[in-house]
Amino acid sequence: MIRFEGAAKRHPDGTVAVRGLDLDVPAGRTTVLVGPSGCGKTTILRMVNRMVVPTAGRVLLDGADVASLPAARLRRGIGYVIQQAGLFPHRRVIDNVATVPRLLGWDRKRARARAAELLELVGLPPETARRYPAQLSGGQQQRVGVARALAADPPVLLMDEPFSAVDPLVRAGLQEELLRLQAELGKTVLFVTHDIEEAVRLGDRVVVLREHGEIAQLADPHTLLTAPADAGVAAFLGRDRGLRGLGLRPAGAVPLAALRPSYDAWELVLDQEGRPEHWRRGGERHPAPVFAPDRDSLRSALDAALLAPSGHAVAVDAEGRAVGTASRAAVVEALAAAGPVPGQVPHAGR
Amino acid sequence: MNWLGWLHDFFADPAHRSGPDSVVHRVLEHLAFSAEALGLAVLVALPLGLLIGYSGRGLFVVTALAGVARALPTLGLVTLAVLLAGVGDAAVLLPLTALAAPPVLVAAAEGVRGTDPDVRDAARGIGLTHPQTLLRVCVPAAAPTLLAGLRTASVQVIATATVAAYVGLGGLGRYVIDGLATRNYPTTVGGALLVVLLAVAVQLLFALLIRLAAPPGTRTRARRAGRTGRTEEPVPVDDPASPPALVKETP
Repeated sequence: MIRFEGAAKRHPDGTVAVRGLDLDVPAGRTTVLVGPSGCGKTTILRMVNRMVVPTAGRVLLDGADVASLPAARLRRGIGYVIQQAGLFPHRRVIDNVATVPRLLGWDRKRARARAAELLELVGLPPETARRYPAQLSGGQQQRVGVARALAADPPVLLMDEPFSAVDPLVRAGLQEELLRLQAELGKTVLFVTHDIEEAVRLGDRVVVLREHGEIAQLADPHTLLTAPADAGVAAFLGRDRGLRGLGLRPAGAVPLAALRPSYDAWELVLDQEGRPEHWRRGGERHPAPVFAPDRDSLRSALDAALLAPSGHAVAVDAEGRAVGTASRAAVVEALAAAGPVPGQVPHAGR
Repeated sequence: MNWLGWLHDFFADPAHRSGPDSVVHRVLEHLAFSAEALGLAVLVALPLGLLIGYSGRGLFVVTALAGVARALPTLGLVTLAVLLAGVGDAAVLLPLTALAAPPVLVAAAEGVRGTDPDVRDAARGIGLTHPQTLLRVCVPAAAPTLLAGLRTASVQVIATATVAAYVGLGGLGRYVIDGLATRNYPTTVGGALLVVLLAVAVQLLFALLIRLAAPPGTRTRARRAGRTGRTEEPVPVDDPASPPALVKETP
């Protein structure tokens, strides 16, 4: 666990970056620091691995003051991912990832074997290992950055706007990947972003910051969206909070109806494996929007129902086969029945 | 008599084929002086330049030296050194070293300072110490700039090492100065040509080294940048040994 005790940072010129932060970052969960630029979120993150030394207060890692260890040794036990990946351009990808194990004294062979495992874990093909960073796309570089941070299996992972510099589609893929990794690894993740969507999507807990690193609200994503602490937080969250909140609720609550031969003159056409192909009415054809009840959110289900010409969203299983349909009314019913959702919920679907 | 005739006379002279006044011997002498001077310059200027570039302290020294280097009156320095130290190796080595040191220092400092700040930040953040960051991250990143500085220094030193003959030492300057003294123009022209050839050869060697020092992938990027008119590392050659880029640029 990471604990901030009155941690403050005042620059030599007198400007205050962080006025004095008290915060517990629980182990094994993802905590997201979010706020406008200049709110001190990166400074707070960098206090953990002593890239920034607090001018007052302290930061504890599992009960020990981070100032009590030599900086380099402390950092080798903490994963660190930054916005531009910061890969070493003259080293092959595999050796970039093997950096920290090598610093920890592993022999080259073992470090490289570990690095190869990591590359696979973050979803990079094996041939990537021999390439140089400049030969990779931005998204791939970012994956290498994550692999490098995880190489020595640190319990804590610091991520400073790691996905901000890639395009939205790639970013969504990387976010998805991080959720998958985190479900598998259960690291203590401290994640900094200025993007509230990203915060809500990735965080088990979201810390909304305002100027000087003051906490405006600390809540789980659902509470944040449905009950912002004040007008400032609400403004920062932006429009359509309620609708976006649906993205945090599982679609499993939607009652499904069995497939029918026709829906008000519309007919659902399936392929040979039973996957929906399109809606047909006479010679007219429309795509058939689908949702996966066990993986997608209520928002995806509602979206699919709204887009379907027949007004029925098609529910599909993991193989994409149609298992039932949900009318707009059925989805709305599920919306009405859904109270506040405690604990873990699926994140916004595609 | 024309140029080519002089050159023919120069190379046909048996004294220039073997013995202490042979071309091979004079070239080796010349290279030995130059390498010694360059080596001394590197010994002094490289560590200093790396430290200045890494710490960001003392950058004004670099700025000042960048201007001074070109204005250095080498012949004057040689004369001064002879007056102070007497005729000998030191009288030539010291001015040549003084000539070579500024470009090396400036290149080392600029190269290290030019390391991508994100890369430096990441290096520190994942637990490299300062010396490790400097030697394992900044120095490789600075390598092309550093080699460019060495190239400048070596060419200047090779050209200027000709003055060694002025204080009675060997090298290709022997031909030039003796030729002038005895009005033996073939010898002067031959010597001058050899100095030029030597300088060009060393230039080419460094061009190759600089190319090899840039990590694969960055060269491709330089070429792309060149096409769009942006200025970047002017090494637009692809390394056939490097694996193909994963991301193909679309034409």
